[in-house]
Amino acid sequence: MTRTRRAYIVLTAAALALCYASTLRGMFEQWSIDEDMSHGFVVPIVVLWIVWRERGRWQALPAEPSGWGLALLAAGAGMQILAAFGGGLFAASVAFLVSVAGAVLYLGGFVYLRAWAFPFLLALFMLPKLAIVYSQVTFPLQLLASRIAAAMLGAVGVAVVREGNILDVAGHRVSVQEACNGVRYLLTLAFIAVVYAYLADAKPWMRFALLAVVAPIAIFANALRVAASGLVPALDAGTPHAVAGYLVFVLCVAILILMRGLFHAVYARYHA
Amino acid sequence: MGTRQGASIKKLGLVLGCTLCLHAQTPVVLGTAGTFGVLAGSTVTNTGTTVISGNLGVSPGLAVTGFPPGFVTGTQFTGVTSLAGTAQNDLTTAYLNAQGRSCPVLNLPGDIGGMTLLPGVYCNSSTSLGITGTVTLNGNGDPNAVFIFQIGTALTTASNSNVHLIGGAQASNVFWQVGSSATVGTGSVFNGIILAQASITLTTGAVFNGRALARTGAVTLDSNLMTNPDTSTPPGSVPAPPSLILVVAGLAIATLYLKREQLLARFRRT
Repeated sequence: MTRTRRAYIVLTAAALALCYASTLRGMFEQWSIDEDMSHGFVVPIVVLWIVWRERGRWQALPAEPSGWGLALLAAGAGMQILAAFGGGLFAASVAFLVSVAGAVLYLGGFVYLRAWAFPFLLALFMLPKLAIVYSQVTFPLQLLASRIAAAMLGAVGVAVVREGNILDVAGHRVSVQEACNGVRYLLTLAFIAVVYAYLADAKPWMRFALLAVVAPIAIFANALRVAASGLVPALDAGTPHAVAGYLVFVLCVAILILMRGLFHAVYARYHA
Repeated sequence: MGTRQGASIKKLGLVLGCTLCLHAQTPVVLGTAGTFGVLAGSTVTNTGTTVISGNLGVSPGLAVTGFPPGFVTGTQFTGVTSLAGTAQNDLTTAYLNAQGRSCPVLNLPGDIGGMTLLPGVYCNSSTSLGITGTVTLNGNGDPNAVFIFQIGTALTTASNSNVHLIGGAQASNVFWQVGSSATVGTGSVFNGIILAQASITLTTGAVFNGRALARTGAVTLDSNLMTNPDTSTPPGSVPAPPSLILVVAGLAIATLYLKREQLLARFRRT
């Protein structure tokens, strides 16, 4: 790589950082205050690590700058302007990613964009929650967690009365509130599934296969956590509550690893 | 004219008197008996997966059977020297207190199903009391509203009957003083604290939000859900751990799993 080209890349990165400083600050603030999104701090680190890990592959690629990159940069800038006029942080964050993709396309061409496609897709996990979607799924997920937790307790012979999102187990009442809806498990487990599939398996479809099983695992695990809190009042708060939350998540990751093993075994059997 | 005026004054006095009886009650103090979901004099017998909120006690008897499969969120106490013995003494005090509350002229019919009652003392001194269908206890917007039922002999609720609380009425302020035994019918929903002279039977699947406190006899249970009547405390919520820690923990586990063979080899070498 020539010195001039390196200077172009550094200048472009600096310009993007400057243009999107307020957006980056907003994302950083949301990761800091929203416990559903605090994994956002890890996402850029993992993305950059993957780019660095793959450096042998993309450094060998010939740079074929594409004018379409300018079009993408312009689209990103347009989105940023719309975001400034009320589109919100989500639109601004998408504008940032679109602009980065535009810069890559302009400086490196489609081969680079293709080589970095996975890190770009992974970067979607650091986008802020889209409020309109989040508010639509929150309450149904709360009810679903309550319903499954009540069914779990009933299945093991524990009498439980469910009133909407509140479970009453022998006078011990547990409320499945917004923060208990399972979105946190869902997002984090999806991110881990994709990264794990990337590390463990060369087959790109494995990432989608593991992503597909994340939702049932996360919903089941969250309901299990709620059911446990209903059954054992001590799990309602403090250290036992936190430990139970982590243990259930470890169980989720273990199931994910098992599922990847299962998919791999089935694939190997039919392609032997 | 004077006679009519006198009669009106009498009626007014009666209404005011009844109104005072209906509204000026304080809750019956349960003492240590208030920590028990079930308290019996002779035995506690359970069938099926009953869940009891609070303590379970027997005194002066000792026998408790059916736990498990029954489940008690509190502690079991048996015998006169245990907390159950103290609770029985407190139950006697509470029972006599409830029985001794002055009752207005209003006498309950034999079956109060379908009625809506306001706070106060209700008596049915000579006969048994039945509930068929739903009886509604209306707290009239007062969360401290007290209902006391003085029942001469037995209290029996029919299958699938319901003691329904509205207007802020709370199960912890509803007292059923029963002269002999109480039976809650199959699949019924019952609210309140039963202070029975003899025994209490909750038949199959009855949901009981309150306390079953029997002075001399047995308490018999069958696949019941017995909840704590003091539900004024807000339910606990169960938020998941922060996603940052989850992701870091998950990635660490996945990495450890992928590197397990190298780690094991290094461990074996050392």
